[in-house]
Amino acid sequence: MDFIRTFQDLLYGLAVAASPQNLLVAVIGLLLGTAIGVLPGLGGTNGVALLLPLTFHLSPTAAIILLSCVYWGAIFGGAITSILFRIPGEPWSVATMFDGYPLARRGKPGVALTAAFVASFIGALISIVLFTFFAPPLAEMALKFGPPENFAVLLLAFASIAGLEGGDPVKALTMTFLGLLLATVGFDIVSGTPRMTFGLVALQSGVSFVVIAIGLFGIGEILLTVEEKLRLDGLKARLSFREVWETCRMFRNYIGTLIRSALLGFWIGILPGTGATPASFMGYGMARQFSPRGSRFGTGEVEGIVAPNTAAHAAGIGSLLPMITLGIPGSPTAAVMLAGLFIWGLNPGPLLFQENREFVWGLVGSMYLANVLGVLMVLTMVPLFAAIVRIPFAILAPLIVILCSVGAYAVNNQVLDLWIMLGSGLAGYLFKKLGYPLAPLVVALVLGDMTEQAFRQSLIMGQGSPAIFFTRPIAAFFVVTALAIFLFPFARSALRRARGGAVAAEAPGTAGS
Amino acid sequence: MRKAGLTFAVAMVLAGVVLLREATRLPTGWTASGPGPGFFPFWLAAGFTVSAFAVLLREWTANQGKGERFLPEGAGKRIAVVFLPMAAVVGLLHYLGVYMGGLLYLLGYSRLVGRHSWPTVLAVSVGVPLTLFFVFERWFLMPMPKGIVLEWLLYGR
Repeated sequence: MDFIRTFQDLLYGLAVAASPQNLLVAVIGLLLGTAIGVLPGLGGTNGVALLLPLTFHLSPTAAIILLSCVYWGAIFGGAITSILFRIPGEPWSVATMFDGYPLARRGKPGVALTAAFVASFIGALISIVLFTFFAPPLAEMALKFGPPENFAVLLLAFASIAGLEGGDPVKALTMTFLGLLLATVGFDIVSGTPRMTFGLVALQSGVSFVVIAIGLFGIGEILLTVEEKLRLDGLKARLSFREVWETCRMFRNYIGTLIRSALLGFWIGILPGTGATPASFMGYGMARQFSPRGSRFGTGEVEGIVAPNTAAHAAGIGSLLPMITLGIPGSPTAAVMLAGLFIWGLNPGPLLFQENREFVWGLVGSMYLANVLGVLMVLTMVPLFAAIVRIPFAILAPLIVILCSVGAYAVNNQVLDLWIMLGSGLAGYLFKKLGYPLAPLVVALVLGDMTEQAFRQSLIMGQGSPAIFFTRPIAAFFVVTALAIFLFPFARSALRRARGGAVAAEAPGTAGS
Repeated sequence: MRKAGLTFAVAMVLAGVVLLREATRLPTGWTASGPGPGFFPFWLAAGFTVSAFAVLLREWTANQGKGERFLPEGAGKRIAVVFLPMAAVVGLLHYLGVYMGGLLYLLGYSRLVGRHSWPTVLAVSVGVPLTLFFVFERWFLMPMPKGIVLEWLLYGR
């Protein structure tokens, strides 16, 4: 590996990206992307797809810079509504809500926003450096990760989220099952038969995760707030740039989490078909296990905002790597960009590095520049965004409802989704009141399809025997870790009961399923 | 509170049984192409039903929250005031569309519940749908349901 050569290429790429035209394109892309990120229901994948026709008039380099900047912008922007209103602007910002929203409620929306943005930026930066220097060997390694390994990693994600909100582990398990079941609704990918639709044609395309999340969190939160007492005043939040600076300084304490999340995110990003959403959940789950502050996660801990955002943005960058080097998209958004590559007349693959030096290194260079630009842009706007929570509740509540509805409709353009949203809103309210955690449900719903696919492929590989998860060392390691994490809360509550002694014996035997 | 928890747990178990029945309509065993389409749903539904039943048992034995109210004083009315108009707007979407519906919802809630002054109420309830209109219809070219009134005003049909 000749680093000097790579370094020269990188300098060349930076020069390409810094040309006035490409810089302008980057800024436009970032602004559009942030707007797309803020609007729920209008995702990064949609945004990139919508802008694809526009790129036909640009050079391939400017085109990929535009599209990738929309993606970065959307990753930055998605955090905003999650933190302020508990409406996920993007699927990957659901994990940001877990700690971002409680922190904003405590009157620190500025801290939460800054933490999210800076974490995204650092995740991106670590990821780009890896991208620059280790692209080809990493891409090959990722291809060795088979379905059993993927399933094992997903299992780990479920296990770490299940215990998230403390509470009753059996309820968390129930919600995980419910989420996975909801994910099976619609056409089966393998056989093409509609499943779990109860004969309804409208359900054949499946239930959208975004619609359910908007209902559960956005609408559900409004109902909870209203129930308590109508608060007619906005939150009193301290808004200043000093807060932004102070939050940046806090990052010294999170170096471990930053590096772990970035590496994990980058790796998840490279794996085909995954992307920023699973990475964000896994980053959150992992930080919760390893951080000394892990037990405070879910209550508005800054590190709980840092972990998922670092991983999400690192995965966003990572997902472009196999697209460029192998022609295999690492995420749905990268798949849309891959379509662009073909339209612009480029052939992705190892040869691209030699034949289209300007394109590849221009893209790499623009990743550095665009992420620096992007974080500066969103950071200067933090006080402005944070000021939104000062709007009186009687105006904010209907506003949120309208944003939710528009977002839910935009996902699939069907009215049924609005009813699903309202239903999920009521369900979310009841779940929350009765102590059923929402996070496992949402995570399972997001990762369900991927999990089932990995599981079925693994079983086919193992000719029907689940032993395949234990005979492959990497898979076995993750499965065993996942089971240990999962059983821990049961063991703890059993121990507590044994010490307390008073409560009658009951069946904790559901863990093996 | 205890009653609500128990009722909800029973509902979850029943839902599990319904889901289990729906899952068994598909092949749940091993097929020519590996595990059948019903395999995953079946075992998930089974797991869901069992764990929902475990929740029910725990709620029953824990015997917590007896005599507590499920809803605080007057909360039912406050929730209805938010939720029912929301459902009404969705129900009338064909006639009102997203923008007119949004305008009415904002207007009604901020004036009747928030008791804000008319200038504020009007500025917000006209401004927000108008902004959204430009963002979605013009900028991102994503048509939202506009309802027959707005369709007629805009395009004369």
